[in-house]
Amino acid sequence: MNTVSFACLDADALGGLQRVTHTLAQGLARRGYDVHVIGLHPSPDPVTYIEDPAYGHHELNPGPRWGLGAGKRARRLLDDIAPGLLVMTSPGVVARLSGHLGGHRGIGQYHGSFAHARGTWHLGAVRAHYGDLDQAVFLSEDDAWRFSEEALLPNTWHIPNPLPGWPHRPSPLRRTRILGVGRLTGVKRFDRLISAFARAGRPDWELHLIGDGPDTDRLMFHAVTEGVSQQVVFRGRIPAGEMPTEYRAASLVALSSDHEGFPLVLGEAAAFGIPSIAFDVSGGVRTLIDDGVTGVLVPPGDVTALATALTELMDDEPRRAEMGAAARAHADAFRLEPVLDQWENLFTHLSR
Amino acid sequence: MAARPAVTVVVITYNDAARLPRAVHSLYAQTLRDLEIIVVDDASTDDTADVAGRFPGVRYIRRVQNSGGCGAPRNAGLDAARAPYVMFLDSDDELPRHACKALLTEIERTGADFVAGQIVRHYDDSGKHAPYYPELFTPRRTVEGIRAEPELFLDGFSTNKIYDVEFLRGHDLRFREDLLYEDHVFTARLYARARRFAVVPWPVYRWHRATGEKQSISLSLRDVANARARVAAAESADQALRDAGMGDLVARRQARFVQQDLRVYLNALPRFDAMWAKELAAVVRPYLERLEEGVLEGTDPMTRVCGELLLRDRIDDLCVAARSLTGPKAPPRQAIRVDGLTYWGAEPDPAFEITSMRLAELPFSESRLRHEVTEISASGSVLSMSITTYDPFGVVGLDTVADLIAKKHRIRLIPRRRPDGTIETEVALDLAAVAPGRSLADEPRLGFTRPLDGHTTGDPLLVGAGLAPLTLKTKGYEITARPHGDTATLRLHWRKTGLVRAVARRPSIRPHALRVAGLPKRLRGRLSVRGVKLAVYKVLIRVVPRKKDLVLFEADCGRGYTGHPRYVHEELVRRGSRLRAVWSRSSGEFPAHLTTVRRMSWRHIWTMARAGWWVDSHGMPLGFPKPRGTRYLQTWHGQGIKSTGLDAPDLRGDFPGPREEWRANVARWDALVSPGAEFERTFVPSNEYIGPVLRHGSPRCDVLFHGDPEAAARVRRALEIPAGKKIVVYAPTYRDLSRGASVRADLRELAAELGDEWVLVLRTHPIEKHVIPQDLRWFARQAGGYPEVNDLLLAADVLVTDYSSLMCDFAVTGKPMVFLIDDWETYRRTERGSQYDLPEIAPGPCVTTTRELAAAVRDPWSPERYAAFRRTWCAEERGHAAARVVDAFFEGRTPETPVAVIPQPTEAAL
Repeated sequence: MNTVSFACLDADALGGLQRVTHTLAQGLARRGYDVHVIGLHPSPDPVTYIEDPAYGHHELNPGPRWGLGAGKRARRLLDDIAPGLLVMTSPGVVARLSGHLGGHRGIGQYHGSFAHARGTWHLGAVRAHYGDLDQAVFLSEDDAWRFSEEALLPNTWHIPNPLPGWPHRPSPLRRTRILGVGRLTGVKRFDRLISAFARAGRPDWELHLIGDGPDTDRLMFHAVTEGVSQQVVFRGRIPAGEMPTEYRAASLVALSSDHEGFPLVLGEAAAFGIPSIAFDVSGGVRTLIDDGVTGVLVPPGDVTALATALTELMDDEPRRAEMGAAARAHADAFRLEPVLDQWENLFTHLSR
Repeated sequence: MAARPAVTVVVITYNDAARLPRAVHSLYAQTLRDLEIIVVDDASTDDTADVAGRFPGVRYIRRVQNSGGCGAPRNAGLDAARAPYVMFLDSDDELPRHACKALLTEIERTGADFVAGQIVRHYDDSGKHAPYYPELFTPRRTVEGIRAEPELFLDGFSTNKIYDVEFLRGHDLRFREDLLYEDHVFTARLYARARRFAVVPWPVYRWHRATGEKQSISLSLRDVANARARVAAAESADQALRDAGMGDLVARRQARFVQQDLRVYLNALPRFDAMWAKELAAVVRPYLERLEEGVLEGTDPMTRVCGELLLRDRIDDLCVAARSLTGPKAPPRQAIRVDGLTYWGAEPDPAFEITSMRLAELPFSESRLRHEVTEISASGSVLSMSITTYDPFGVVGLDTVADLIAKKHRIRLIPRRRPDGTIETEVALDLAAVAPGRSLADEPRLGFTRPLDGHTTGDPLLVGAGLAPLTLKTKGYEITARPHGDTATLRLHWRKTGLVRAVARRPSIRPHALRVAGLPKRLRGRLSVRGVKLAVYKVLIRVVPRKKDLVLFEADCGRGYTGHPRYVHEELVRRGSRLRAVWSRSSGEFPAHLTTVRRMSWRHIWTMARAGWWVDSHGMPLGFPKPRGTRYLQTWHGQGIKSTGLDAPDLRGDFPGPREEWRANVARWDALVSPGAEFERTFVPSNEYIGPVLRHGSPRCDVLFHGDPEAAARVRRALEIPAGKKIVVYAPTYRDLSRGASVRADLRELAAELGDEWVLVLRTHPIEKHVIPQDLRWFARQAGGYPEVNDLLLAADVLVTDYSSLMCDFAVTGKPMVFLIDDWETYRRTERGSQYDLPEIAPGPCVTTTRELAAAVRDPWSPERYAAFRRTWCAEERGHAAARVVDAFFEGRTPETPVAVIPQPTEAAL
C-alpha cells in the first residue's frame, strides 16, 4: 500500500486545512509514497502552497456544484489512481466520496474540535459516516476520545497537524508586546482578550492584533470603551513571509477564541520560543500548550482568569524565558518529520 | 500461517450451516487482517462440515459428540487458539467490521485483562436494532475490578469481549460444560478474577434475532427446564463469587438475577397458563428463598410484589401482577390504602406496599384503570367485546361517561357497575366507521370522561395472550385484531385488499409496485422542497399585488396563538378593524375562529406574498425576501439577560453564511417593538438594527399588568390542580449546546420537599422535551404545550426559572421568583453567553441545589433587588402597549407617552 490520496472540498483555497494537506502530501511524497491531492471543486482564488510538488494534483468538478455526473467522475478518477489510502479531510468530503471509494481504503479526517462539531451539523455527519471508514483521524487524543464516546466511533486515531516551517532563531522575548493572531470575527472573541488586557493594567505593554475581518470596527470601539485604545494596535493582515519578524518582536501570544481545533498559531509561537496563554477550549489547545510549562491554560470564557494569567507572565521575565525554552522543545513534536512518522504509524496500524 | 496471529476468534456452531457463512464473512470483513478464525463444530448432523471446509484460511475443529451447550465448543476453541487475545462468536451472529481491531487496540493500550463493549440486538424481521443496557458501556473507561462497579454484573455475556489468553489460562477460566447459561458462571468467575478491565461504548457484537425467533424463544421458555438451568447457573455463579472471597458481592449479582433473569420469566407470564406459572414458581422459589437480605426489597415495587407472590405460591395473583411489569404497565386489579400507604391487593401486607409508585394520587387524566377483555369475537366488520374494568383507586364517579376510542373514532358506551366495584361494558365496534388514516396500526383505548371538566383517562385493553388473531373485513381493508407484547394489549392492523393490491403483493412484483407507489410521493417531495417554493415565491411577489387589508400573524414560528402577535391581533379585533388576520401554524392549538395556514405550505407561501402586513415574534422564514409594499412588524419574543442576535452562539460561529442570512432577515423589519431602554441598549445593536423602534412596553405584558381573574381558575381546571395547593411554575430555558439538559432540578427530591403544599407546573422551552415519570405526576404537571404562557404566569404563586426572558414578564406581576442557576458560569462563558451578572441583579434568591431551591420557594422574597430589577426591565410596562403599538404601526399615530407608574410589589402579592 504505497498510494496515499488527499481529498479536500477546494484544495487550493487559502486556509489552514489546505496548507496542512499540501505540506503532508509533499512530505509523504518525499518519503517515497505515490501521493495525490484531489480538490472536489476549483478554488476562486488559488494559492500555490508547494512550488515543486512531488505529488499528483487533480480537480474533480469544473464548477462549485456537486452535480449529476460528479459521482461518476469521482469513481473514474479514483479508479485511475492505484488502490491505496484516501484521506478525506472534512465531513463534506466524506459525505460526497465515501460511496465511490472503489479499491481505496477510506480515512476520514476532522480538523475541528469535538466542541465545535457538537455545535454544528458536523457531529451528526461524523456519527453517520466516519464509523464506516477504515479510520477516523482527529487532531488530538482528547478529541478522538470524545468522538469515540459521543459518536460511538470504534476507529478513532489522532495525529497533530505539522508546523509549516521551523525558525532557526527563537524570539529574544525582549519587547513588551502581546500578540493575537486571527481573523477579526465573532468566534475569535478578541473582545475578551482586549478586556483581559485592559484589566491587567500594564501601561508599558502593547497588544498587537494581526488579521482583519468584519468585526474590526466593533473591536476598535471596544478598545476605546475599555480605555486601552492607545495600547491595542490593529495591524491588519500581514503576509506569511513577514510573520517571523512579528513573532520575534513578541514576548507573549494569547488566544481567546470560543472554538479552536488545532490552532497552529500556538504551535508557531512555541516554535519561536514564546509562551502562550489560551482558553482551554479543545484537545488541540491542550496538546499545543503544556499547561504551566510552555504556557498557561485558562477556563474557557473566564476573562478574569485570563487577565490574571497575562499579568503574571507580563510581570515575570525569568518565567517567560523558562517557559519559552520549554515551548520550543515542546514544539519539536509538531515539526513535519515527527508528524510524518505518526502518519506512517497509522499506515502500519491500518495494515495489521 | 507461521507467525502468531494478533487475535483468535472462536466461532461455535451446531446444525447452523445456513447462517455460518454470514458469521464467517463478518470476520473476513474485519479491518483487522491478522486474525485467526477457528470454527468449532459441536458435532453437527447437517452439512456444516462441507460449508466450513469451503472457507479459506479457517481452522475447522469438529467435536466427536454433541455437548448440548456452548461451553464445550468454546473451551475447545480456547485451547486451540494461537493468538495472545481471543474473542467468541456464535454462528448465528456477526461481529461489526471494526470489532476485532478496536478491541485489540484498546486491550493493548490499557493492558487490561479483558475489554467489554456494547452488544446490539438486531431484529431481522423489522430491521431494527437496540443496544443492550447502553448506560453500562458509557463512558469509555478502565475499571479496577468489579468491586468498583458491581452494576456491571448485568453484562453477563461472554461474546462482547476480548480476553487476554494468558489471563484466562492462568486463572483456569473456562466454560462449564455441564450446564446451560454457562456465560453467567463464566462471567461471574471472570469478574472475580480480573483486577482490571476496560469498557468501550461502541457496538462490538451484533446479536441477531431471526424472524420467527420470538416463537422459538417462547417455546424454550415454555420448557421449565430452561428456568431450572438458569437458576442452576445463578447458584453456581454465586458460589464462584464466594469461592473467590467476594461473598459480599453476591447480593449485587443476585440483584442482576432479579432485575434481568427473573424478569425474563415474569414478563412472559401473561403469555402462558397457570400450570406453567406454578411449575416455574416451584423451580425459582428455592433460589428466591435463599437470596441475600435486601435483594428483593431493593428492586422496583412491582417486581418485588411478583417475587413475594411467587414465594407465597399465590399463582393466580402472580399472573395478574405480572401484567404490570412491561408495556403499558397495567395497574393492579385491587389496591388498598391504609394510613397513607398503598398496598397491592386486598390486605395491607408490608411485603406488598407500593406507595412509591404513587398510583393512588394521580390527577384524573393521568390515573390508571385496568380494562380486561373477557369475551371477544368478530363478525364481518364488527368487533364485539365484553370488558371488565377495575378501578383500584376509585376514580370513576357515577356520572363518568365511557367511550371506546379507536383512532379518532369514539363510541359512547353504557358502563354497568357490579357489586364488587368493577365496571362492565359491552362494545360493538364497527370498523367500517373508523377511518384508517395514515398509520395502519392502532391500539383502541377505553376512555372515561368526567363531565364536570371534560378530562379523560384512557388505557389500552388487555386481552388473553393466547387469543388467536381475529380477522375483520371492511371495504378495501382487511383488519386483524391480535394481542401485542408481553402484556398482551389489543392491537388492530389494517391491510389494504383488492385485486390490484393482491397482485402487487406477489414477491416478484412487490419491488416494482413499491417503486410505482412511491412515485407521486417522490414527485411531491421534489416539488415541495424549499428551493422550489422560494423560487415560486420570488416570482409571485413581483407579479401579484399586495392586499392592504391582509395581516399575516406568526408567533413562536407558528407554534401557537400567543405572545405579542396575539395581543396585537386582539387589539385590532377590539377596535373593530377592517383588517383580516391569517395565522401561520406549525403545531399547537389555535382557537377555532381563527383562519390558519400551515407554515411553509403552498398556501402559506401565497399568503406571505399577498399580505400587506407581517407581524411575528421570531422571524418569517429566513431567506424569503419581504414583498415590496408589505410592512413587517417585528415584536421580538423576549427581552432578558441572554446574548442575542449576532452575539448568540449559533451566529458567532465559524461560518459566515448564517450571519449574512440573519442580517438579511433583520433588514426586512420595518418596526421593532421595544419593551424598554435596556432592550434597545442590548438587543438593537447586537442585531445591527437601525430602523424605527416602538417603545411602548410589551403587548403580551398588558394582561400581566392588569391581571385576569379567570386565568388561575383556567389553569387549575386544565391541569387539575386542587384548590388547596399552591402553584410553582418551573420554566427553565434551553441550553444551546446541551439540548435536553434544561430541567436541572431533581423533581423527585423537590416532590419530597414541597409535595404537601405545592404543585409544580413544568413549562419547558418549546424546543425541549421532558417526560415526567408516572410516579411524579401527582406532584408535577406537564405544561410545555399549554397554549398560553401568560395564564401560567398569572396562576403561579412562585416562578422558578434560570435565564429565561420570562423573568422580565413575570416581574410585571410583582410576584416572587427564584433562580436555579447551578450552571451559570458555564452558561455565561461557553453556552449562550450574557452581558449581565445574573446573581447580582436577579430579583429573587439564586440557588444551585434542589434542596436550596425548595427552601427558597417557601421563602422567596427579596424586595430591594426586585424593585431595582423592575426599574431596569419593566419601566415602560403601563398596560397599554398593544394599543400604542397598533396606533403607531397600523394607524401611523405617534402616541404621547405618559409618565411611568410602576406599582411597587407588596407582600400581599404573595
